[in-house]
Amino acid sequence: MVRFIGLEGVGTKYELETKSGDKIAVIFLLNKRIQVYIQEKSCEKPCSIEITEMEAKRLSSILGGVPIEKERESVEIDFMGVPDLTLAMHTYTVSKKLHGKTIEELAIRKRTGANIVAVSRSGKTIISPPPHLIFEEGDVIVVIGDKEQIEKFEKEILGI
Amino acid sequence: MDIAIAGLVCVVLAAISKKFSLPSVPAYILAGLIFGSGGLGLFTADKVSDTIAEAGVIMLLFYIGLNLNPREISEKKGMIFHSGLYDFLINFSLIYIISVLAGFDHTRAFLVASALYISSSAIVLQSLIENRKLIYRESEIVIWIMVFEDIVIALLIVLNNPETSDLIFFMLKVLILTALTYLLSGYMPKLIGGLFQREDEVPALFAFTVALLGVAFEEFFQIPAGYTAIMLGLMLSGIKRLKEIILPFKDVFLVLFFFFFGISVNLSTNGLVLGLVLAAVAIAGKIISGLITGRHLLKSWLSGLEIGLDTVARGEFSIFLIFAFGSGSEVSAVTAAVVITSIIGAFLSKNSEKIKISASKMAERFSSTQ
Repeated sequence: MVRFIGLEGVGTKYELETKSGDKIAVIFLLNKRIQVYIQEKSCEKPCSIEITEMEAKRLSSILGGVPIEKERESVEIDFMGVPDLTLAMHTYTVSKKLHGKTIEELAIRKRTGANIVAVSRSGKTIISPPPHLIFEEGDVIVVIGDKEQIEKFEKEILGI
Repeated sequence: MDIAIAGLVCVVLAAISKKFSLPSVPAYILAGLIFGSGGLGLFTADKVSDTIAEAGVIMLLFYIGLNLNPREISEKKGMIFHSGLYDFLINFSLIYIISVLAGFDHTRAFLVASALYISSSAIVLQSLIENRKLIYRESEIVIWIMVFEDIVIALLIVLNNPETSDLIFFMLKVLILTALTYLLSGYMPKLIGGLFQREDEVPALFAFTVALLGVAFEEFFQIPAGYTAIMLGLMLSGIKRLKEIILPFKDVFLVLFFFFFGISVNLSTNGLVLGLVLAAVAIAGKIISGLITGRHLLKSWLSGLEIGLDTVARGEFSIFLIFAFGSGSEVSAVTAAVVITSIIGAFLSKNSEKIKISASKMAERFSSTQ
């Protein structure tokens, strides 16, 4: 059960009580920093850390249960309002094999069901790339799909 | 020239107080007192410093308004009301009574009570964050108390306004402005929100102008500038980006306000003594109101003590009210009380754990001897 409350002049607070009775609170401060509190059930005093947005993202990936590797990183997003909905996004680096091919040519969606939602090329990001976009070696692509679709994508398109 | 030196002094003070996590507000005021006409006499207030000081408070009030989103407030109005009620009743009346006993007439006693009832949101919220207290329920109540006080400030500005030759007409004007704010708060963000998303100089320039519009309102309609500034802020509270744009302006002008205010004050011995008495009452009052609020809302005296200790510090609003409406010895008294309570308040909030432990030990000893 997550409790959510806006704190005027401070930020936004999320509070979570675990099944075992421990308490976790996360406060997004107005200055973009994030305070995380953990309080054991039997303990009077909580522990706290203050982290940056980047560190919070790292932490959320770790807690999401996904091993972080530089080449293949993935993020799962849960939506507070829709408990059953989990989106998994994976990133891959385009290899020589795909260089010069387009999304349309590879028929990625038709063959695998997965979708390419973004391409990052030399620091610039293209969100919802058009089907005629030509891949270049070194592009980082963001793929969205369920477990099966991602596996298919890895096997059929990337050949790994 | 003076402004650059004043700014330099404040930069040094800000850096030092951050390093030692002390509140910076009393540091700016004390520096002003030391360098100003009542101290070394190195600075004197002039037209430029007065204008900057005025801009500082108007920015502060506009910023307060921006943080009071009518929709979010009305969702939590029950909590805010119950958290802030005892704080208001106890502290306002305590300081009012002491001020009357000290020989102030009712108007001036009302002003002193208005000024010293209100805690410093800046110091209080900063200590909640720095002392890592945001997980506690007590901290939420402290935040609701601050919101309650922010709303009461608007009312106190109107009630303390001396230039009311025709009270009914004045109240009518205030009511119309308030009603307009309420009606327009839904439309204005949609209507002009786009202006603040641009990449050129328009957002900053427009934000700065809107924040200072209150001064123009005072000249044309004789509505207190501070009240208008809060209302304009409220009206535009739906524009998230505006807060980010106005923050640096507010920071700069408000810091200079504290310093220039300090310069203009001549601390009298009488004022200082009265300030000491008022500070003691102000500290005791907040602890009592905190105890009662905590007992009432969280069913715990210790939670109440935490709330009380966290809300002791007075600051920007007290100084603003006394700057805008004060004239005589009450200025010295309130200034002294603010400097004392802000320093002690920051200390109490930081050490609240230790204080609560000794308090509960004392309570145990007391009940076992009974």
